[in-house]
Amino acid sequence: MFTDFLQLTAAGLSQGSVYALLAVGLIAIYSVRHIVNIAQGEFASLAGLGALWLVAAGMPLALAVVVAVLSVTVVAIAIERLVIARVKNMTTLISIILTLGVSTLLQALMLLLWGPEARGLPAFAGSNIDLAGVSIRSQELWMLGALVVVGGGVLLFYEKTRFGKALRACAEQPVAARIVGISPVLASIAAFAIAGLCGAVAGVVSSPIFLSSWSGGLLLGLKGFVAAVLGGLVSFRAAVVGGLLLGMLESYVAGYVDSGFRDGVAFFILILVLIVRPAGLVIRRAEARV
Amino acid sequence: MKWSRLRFAIPAAIATLALGLTACGSNLGGDSGSGDEEGPIKIGAVLDITGVGANLGVPEQNTLKMLAKKLNDSGGIDGREVELIIKDNQSTEDGAAKATTQLIQDDKVNLLIGASRTGPSLAMRPIAEQNKIPLISVAANASIVEGSEWVFKTAQNDNVVIERILDDAQDKGYKKVALARDATGFGEGIADQITAMGKDRGIELTATESFEPSATDFTAQMTKLRSADADAVIIWGITPSAGLAQKAYKQIGVDKPVYQSHGVGNKEFFDAAGDSADGVIAPMGRLLVVDQLPADDKQADVIKAYVDDYKAEFGSDPSTFGGHAYDAWNVAVEAFKKAGTDPEKLRDTIESTTGLVGISGIFNFSKEDHSGLDASALILAVAKNGRWNLDKV
Repeated sequence: MFTDFLQLTAAGLSQGSVYALLAVGLIAIYSVRHIVNIAQGEFASLAGLGALWLVAAGMPLALAVVVAVLSVTVVAIAIERLVIARVKNMTTLISIILTLGVSTLLQALMLLLWGPEARGLPAFAGSNIDLAGVSIRSQELWMLGALVVVGGGVLLFYEKTRFGKALRACAEQPVAARIVGISPVLASIAAFAIAGLCGAVAGVVSSPIFLSSWSGGLLLGLKGFVAAVLGGLVSFRAAVVGGLLLGMLESYVAGYVDSGFRDGVAFFILILVLIVRPAGLVIRRAEARV
Repeated sequence: MKWSRLRFAIPAAIATLALGLTACGSNLGGDSGSGDEEGPIKIGAVLDITGVGANLGVPEQNTLKMLAKKLNDSGGIDGREVELIIKDNQSTEDGAAKATTQLIQDDKVNLLIGASRTGPSLAMRPIAEQNKIPLISVAANASIVEGSEWVFKTAQNDNVVIERILDDAQDKGYKKVALARDATGFGEGIADQITAMGKDRGIELTATESFEPSATDFTAQMTKLRSADADAVIIWGITPSAGLAQKAYKQIGVDKPVYQSHGVGNKEFFDAAGDSADGVIAPMGRLLVVDQLPADDKQADVIKAYVDDYKAEFGSDPSTFGGHAYDAWNVAVEAFKKAGTDPEKLRDTIESTTGLVGISGIFNFSKEDHSGLDASALILAVAKNGRWNLDKV
């Protein structure tokens, strides 16, 4: 029985690491521009399908993955330049409708380019581990590793580097940030690039287990959004914890209640959090922030 | 504080709503004219082209388009052109119902084909019955045609598939089986059938788990099957989900033998399952093992011709699902040739179709049997090195 629990936990953590990475991408943008990017999950689908296409064309897996991730990062920047930057008076509400449009457009393009079938990349290097009856797939370690490296990297960048801090300043005090010489254009581009990178990495590392499809991104992105909400849309740390918790909870519900309820978990949590604790899991919260 | 809560809650609520907006329609067909005795014969197809059934719907769509073109190039039916209108139900029940209604009311089709999966087919059934239009489903569950007047099907029945699985299990001396099944129409009632049919063979069903066809993680179900007391496991679903379930099953370290259903009768199963497919036994039609059939097999020539045509047209191998569409088309065309477009005559002619050699089997329809195939339509195939191999005819 305890073995089953650990097995479910392992599966939940790896699934959760995908949500967490997507949440990191969402917060990367929200904390700079107060934009909720509904197309975040599409970055994952795009990278997964792009890498599949490159592999099918004969490119080695590792190279295909890198090229796909970088390309999607460029796509994210292009979306910022061509769509987001064109809007004069951006509000969070407008951003949601706008990025929902972008999401639909990207889905249609992927459907046209790569067809409707869901497919998966070959598993990355490594062999499966068996720990006292709990089997852990090597790909799950790649997924957790990607969260640690990319998610951790983004966290350090925003919190420890001057440029990262400057990005956040743009959201808090746009005018003051400009006065002291921080370019809001550059800040916005950087935020979208980071979001594209996070989404793309999540997409390629999860593709061997969870497959990539043209239509899978929206649900994935919304689950990432739930994880981000657990982080109050501002805290990377709380969002990562939220993503992992969401993954585990889904796994337990599927295992101990009914697998049919799995996708409902995220939205139940979303509603619960918005009613009871809109600030998410963030503990140190200044009441003065109005 | 209040304002900040609200400002935050509104976008969040809208983001949640976005989920509901994903279903946006796309019609692949055109529409024209009315269906009189002189104009073109109209066949409407409702297939799972996008969504979870895509692995089934796409080869079906390809097959129908190919056959329609071929038929019209050779002069149609009695000089009448056959117009094929294909609609995508997006693998949903309401999509199938909507498309069926459109095909009947707007396009005035003479006959319907579809849908790719059991759930959407069951959604089409009452509409076809009410409007008295013959419907040929390409999905499996026997409930699609049970007691129906106007609905036929070309995929092998689930009960004959279970029969083949349980016979083989009995031969191998298995006493207990566990089941992981598709949570939608295709897997409905499978557990009961296994329990009932297993009784005569001394086989007991010890555990049942279910999974959504859209699921990607199967750890929960497979962990439970691992702890279940069973000699063999039956996974009942379609690709890719059944392939992913297979993969999870192996990766979680269970080594009990696995049976799968005819829902995995395509190459995509191996894309999803990879090496973990090795050793899986599945009853299916003869298509995927056509090169290994005995020389006197009655279906071999028909199947080979279809495989060659399909490869030449689309550059890829067909699946057994394309085969179901091929059979539906041929049953329809044969009936149109004899009966014209009068619905009653058309239905009676399909009911009297016997000895029609198809891809999925040799069809013998009757008033009582609207599925037309028995257990002889199935062979047992075993998965090895990324392909299906003939095990037992």
